[in-house]
Amino acid sequence: MFPFAGKAVEIADRSGADFADIRVVETRRQTLSVRNGEIGAINDSVTLGFGVRVLYKGAWGFASSDVMTAGEVARVSRLAISIAKASASLKGRPVRLAAEPAYRDFWQTPFIKDPFSVPVEKKLTLLFAIDRVLRKDRRIRSAVSGMNFIREHQWHMTTEGSEIEQVLLSSGAGFEANAIDKGEAQSRSYPSPHGGQILSMGYELIESLDLAGNAERVREEALALLTAPRCPEGKKDLIIYGNQLALQIHESVGHASELDRVLGYEESFAGSSFATIEKLGKFRYGSPIVNLVADATLPGGLATAGYDDDAVKAQRWHIVKDGILSGYMTNREFAGRIGRDRSWGSCRADGYANIPITRICNLSLMPGDVPEDALISDTKDGVIMENNKSWSIDQKRLNFQFGCEIGWLIKNGKKGAMIKNPTYQGITPAFWNSCDAIADENSWSLWGVANCGKGEPPQTAMMCHGGSPARFRKTRIGVGA
Amino acid sequence: MLSHERICDRIFRLAGRRRTEVIVTSTCSALTRFADNVISQNVADTATEISVRVLDNGRVAKFSLNQPSEASLRTAFSGADLILKTQKKDPRLLPLPRPAGLKENRSVFFPGTADLTPSDRAARAVSFAGKCRRAGAVGFGTFENGTRMVTVANSLGLRAFHRETYAAYSVTARHGDGFGWAQDYSCDSGRLDFERVDRAALDKALRSAGPRAVPPGRYTVILEPSAVANLLLFLGIYGFGARFYQEGQSFVSGRLGKKVLNDKLTITDDAAEGPSAGMPFDYEGVPKRRLVLVDKGVARDLAHDRQTAREAGVRTTGHALPMPNTYGPLPSNLVMAAGDRSLKEMIRSTKKGILVTSFHYCNPLKPITLEMTGMTRNGTFMIENGRISYPVKNLRFTESVADAFNRVEAVGDRLESFLLWGTVSAPALKIKDFNFSSATMF
Repeated sequence: MFPFAGKAVEIADRSGADFADIRVVETRRQTLSVRNGEIGAINDSVTLGFGVRVLYKGAWGFASSDVMTAGEVARVSRLAISIAKASASLKGRPVRLAAEPAYRDFWQTPFIKDPFSVPVEKKLTLLFAIDRVLRKDRRIRSAVSGMNFIREHQWHMTTEGSEIEQVLLSSGAGFEANAIDKGEAQSRSYPSPHGGQILSMGYELIESLDLAGNAERVREEALALLTAPRCPEGKKDLIIYGNQLALQIHESVGHASELDRVLGYEESFAGSSFATIEKLGKFRYGSPIVNLVADATLPGGLATAGYDDDAVKAQRWHIVKDGILSGYMTNREFAGRIGRDRSWGSCRADGYANIPITRICNLSLMPGDVPEDALISDTKDGVIMENNKSWSIDQKRLNFQFGCEIGWLIKNGKKGAMIKNPTYQGITPAFWNSCDAIADENSWSLWGVANCGKGEPPQTAMMCHGGSPARFRKTRIGVGA
Repeated sequence: MLSHERICDRIFRLAGRRRTEVIVTSTCSALTRFADNVISQNVADTATEISVRVLDNGRVAKFSLNQPSEASLRTAFSGADLILKTQKKDPRLLPLPRPAGLKENRSVFFPGTADLTPSDRAARAVSFAGKCRRAGAVGFGTFENGTRMVTVANSLGLRAFHRETYAAYSVTARHGDGFGWAQDYSCDSGRLDFERVDRAALDKALRSAGPRAVPPGRYTVILEPSAVANLLLFLGIYGFGARFYQEGQSFVSGRLGKKVLNDKLTITDDAAEGPSAGMPFDYEGVPKRRLVLVDKGVARDLAHDRQTAREAGVRTTGHALPMPNTYGPLPSNLVMAAGDRSLKEMIRSTKKGILVTSFHYCNPLKPITLEMTGMTRNGTFMIENGRISYPVKNLRFTESVADAFNRVEAVGDRLESFLLWGTVSAPALKIKDFNFSSATMF
């Protein structure tokens, strides 16, 4: 594919571009789902296309196409140059990219079992089996189980001499039961909501999840939630479990630390960030036990790759160290604004048709030193919340409110009654500063986020967040209409 | 890329005797984005997606691709055959629909809109940034235009073709700690009112600087059209999709023909004409019917596809998403009918209340009661004694949309359209006792 891509680099070089790159991307996706005994999705898709990005006299242009001919590469490259010239009509300081060596490399996601080689029949048999268990009670009015697999083959070539070929693979699966009775509706999912667990692995992930073995429990918990007491209103110590902690990290630290957002470049869409650059190295984001690490080398991470889409080699760095804001998600364009001569490498594009933008990398809360049991036994008046159901945060990433699938009250160190519709609300720095205990590495797990939206035109990216259950003192819970 | 007709011909020739449905979608889009008074992203994209559904006596397989060569199509059909062969038969799976009389919607395609150049878009960004600079403000925004073509065809002879253009101009101004935002959207870029949008955003930013904190609680609110459209979108999805209704997941479930909202509200779904017009058929090629979802507060119609219609014993309304899917049919051309009150009159008639320009990051907490949460944004103001008295810091609402839409006191006389999930057109609303559950710091 590099000879095909070379045409774009050649045209950009001849035009006097400061920098240009072309990304050719072939994406294969397989999506399967079963809903209430019927096939809800059964799609195998392959797309191929390319995007050309040109930096001309300090201004950007980007164009893409799915017509794979030499003539079209030339047309799209010239279009990207003309768009960059139009961008120059409203230009601030010229864009200067942070330096990065040129690489010629191949990288691929390690996996054991190629998910595309596993027969669809086998996958559907498992999904139908789960569906039957979930719908054994008439009050389960809808049950959805699904799997999805993505293989993205990228060829990235830059005017600086990089030629990087990568094959990124991910697998995902999960299910959800919706119980409805007497005007009440409750849902429960496994391993996590919003499509289930997804990681950069092969089919071995699906085999490790014991999906069928959890279906009965999920059904019974969804039914039990129908008659469970409501989440009380007030302030309690909150212990966050499961993928809800991932969403908390994602919304209140991940997006808040995207440097393009911090600098105002997302203001017109999802907003900016309170974590402004003068706070770097000084601002107490959380309590001293809070360490949040971005890591593009993390095994299984959905943002794990050899290189980002700026052709920067994968790295690991702190966003919050010992509670202090210590880093950002960066691309090569903005790294210089915080005095860095190299990007941390967190710039990615959605497929071939989008320009690379700063994205959240894999971002995890480092484990603490408390056994999970001790986290509960040390809590006098608290609540556990697990698995996200609803999320919302303001345009500076300060005021957030989350709803979860399920909760349990804690009284005098004992996990007690199940509660329904648990919600909590807070202000980001105050919340992370109230974190007084994090369970140890034995409880640490990684959760995939497959639907992170950002940018205009909108792009979707995937990343992971890891963590052990963590406790936040005196949190406002039970917010309702 | 081949024409849609040639793509379909090739697929049906290779499909042979298989029962086959083809959906071809082509987009040609461009977007100029600016931030901090500088063009920050400037992109253009050309893409075609082809999806093929194959049915075989109660069995289904589907594949999608964007490189429809003979070789790749043959490989994809072989894969589909294998899936069909090993699949259990589902007696509930419907056969393909037969051709129905379709009218092309010519009111939504404007060649001039498709032809806007990077320089045309950049000129608007330059103009707004200049106005912001002169006012001591900073400008952000996007100007997007494009063309979308959709063909739905099947091996029973059904052929449905639609094309539309779109242009959307959206700007945000920041003046110190004040924010203002405005937008315009149309199928015809010639109808965009750039001057009004620029003026509205800048004026709001200037007026919203120095916001004061107010305690959360229940307030009379005047929601401008953007805020209403955001809530209406969720009401349409969770309230009036027939599958949600049939499973008892909708607040309307079991209440068709009954009063569900305030009698000042009438909500339609109309793809053929009006401010939310668009594709006049669904993703099975069935003509979309105009729906009166709510008639003066009374729930009347639901959005059906052929499957939910069969279960309900009614005719489909032509609201199918691409099959198979897990959501069921949904309305996507929503219009809340305009009322008779201007925004000024609503403000004048309010002793104490809050004016909300738009909502940010709304999400349902309990879809069955349409309890939602979200933040105010881009200009939130206290109204006292019939006048806007001062800007306020943003607030979070936690509120049942169904309940709030029962407490409507006035409906605005001007509709505004927004490209959300489909097109949503809405007026301003005045609502009493709207619940703000917490506040933020700006």
